[in-house]
Amino acid sequence: MRKLDTLLELFQEADPEERLELLLDFVDRLPPLPLEYVPLRDAGLGMVHECQSPVFFLPEVQEGQVRIYADVPREAPIPRAFVALLVEAFNGEPPEAVLEAPEDLLNRLGIAPLLGMQRLRGLTGIYQKLRREIGAKVGLSINPSSNSA
Amino acid sequence: MATYAHPEVLVSTDWVAAHLKDTEHVRIVESDEDVLLYETGHIPNAVKIDWVQDLQDPVIRDYISREQFEELCAARGIANDTLVVFYGDKHNWWACYAFWVFKLLGHERCAIMDGGRQKWIAEGRPLTREVPSFPRTVYRARKPDRSIRTFWKEVMAHVQAGKPLIDVRTPAEYRGELVHMPDYPQEGALRAGHIPGARNVPWSMAVREDGTFKSREELERIYLQDKGLKPDDEVITYCRIGERSSHTWFVLKYLLGFKNVKNYDGSWTEWGNLVGVPIERGDPETKVSDG
Repeated sequence: MRKLDTLLELFQEADPEERLELLLDFVDRLPPLPLEYVPLRDAGLGMVHECQSPVFFLPEVQEGQVRIYADVPREAPIPRAFVALLVEAFNGEPPEAVLEAPEDLLNRLGIAPLLGMQRLRGLTGIYQKLRREIGAKVGLSINPSSNSA
Repeated sequence: MATYAHPEVLVSTDWVAAHLKDTEHVRIVESDEDVLLYETGHIPNAVKIDWVQDLQDPVIRDYISREQFEELCAARGIANDTLVVFYGDKHNWWACYAFWVFKLLGHERCAIMDGGRQKWIAEGRPLTREVPSFPRTVYRARKPDRSIRTFWKEVMAHVQAGKPLIDVRTPAEYRGELVHMPDYPQEGALRAGHIPGARNVPWSMAVREDGTFKSREELERIYLQDKGLKPDDEVITYCRIGERSSHTWFVLKYLLGFKNVKNYDGSWTEWGNLVGVPIERGDPETKVSDG
């Protein structure tokens, strides 16, 4: 069982109010950005453009394991919590864990209805960036069928 | 310095700090864009009202019903005569939206905390994660106040009569280069531009860096001298989904004393998707269609 499945179970068993509380936990759990990544962030690299807040999000593959380096301001708790959740779900996992994860993760977590249509876009942008960049790093496409279109 | 036209609808952070315990007469309400911001820390004794979860009908594109509004208030210990003080993130943008919805649904005593969350935090004032609870009230909603809301058919008549509209979106959205705010692509429309004749005053022109509203003189320079509005004009404000424009609605109605200002909450996501309605593009200075 992947770490993501455990988290999915946790969120799916929670009611909407509890889901907000789970997210609040994650706000406090985002690990600090390692010093060597601070210059990258300050140079505006690795930003998620779909987010209104400055979200730095850099997924890497090191020795066959996913490593996410991220920084999100505390004034943007929803993106911060979601990024912390992704870190917890995928850090140390093989890249396949990202590539095989559900495309509609936000719906599966039950976060989408909490946000409404208007606030979903930024989080979708973060998740797509993760899938796209991990896919590119291991030479796999997350959506193979689009090659023939 | 001249005071605002209705100074009673604006309270300072000092005032709020002095009334934190006056929960029998005052209810502090935080309204933010981020649905989790309140939970990370809020003004002591403040309750949360979320614009998606609490104020919008989950199915129809409209606001909650009269009964739902009564329940919303009763559950938060808001009575008919409670003074509800709104504050929030992003220069009180969402606080003004919640204020407008409360007025629309008939609540009489509403105010905005000038400077919002940003100023409260900058002044080093306390935040808490403790969610307060207050005794339930019996709330009887008054009739909705339709005089502050307008719908597209009325907007069309307004345009045809040559009456003023204020488009509070970014200049790029106004000119028709973008169909949504940079970074909010989900809230798009099929056509870009603005409602014919609308003047562009981005909503953020009305606030200072510290989140407080500009002085009456500064606001008069922007809306009266530069844009040629008159306090007796019937004015319609709009943006993309009606929230930024409720901020400007607040400024015109309460700070400058305009008698007849309506917020068009259908805004560009409705107008820019309506079949066959007239649209203008480009800068107002370069337009030839102004008549």
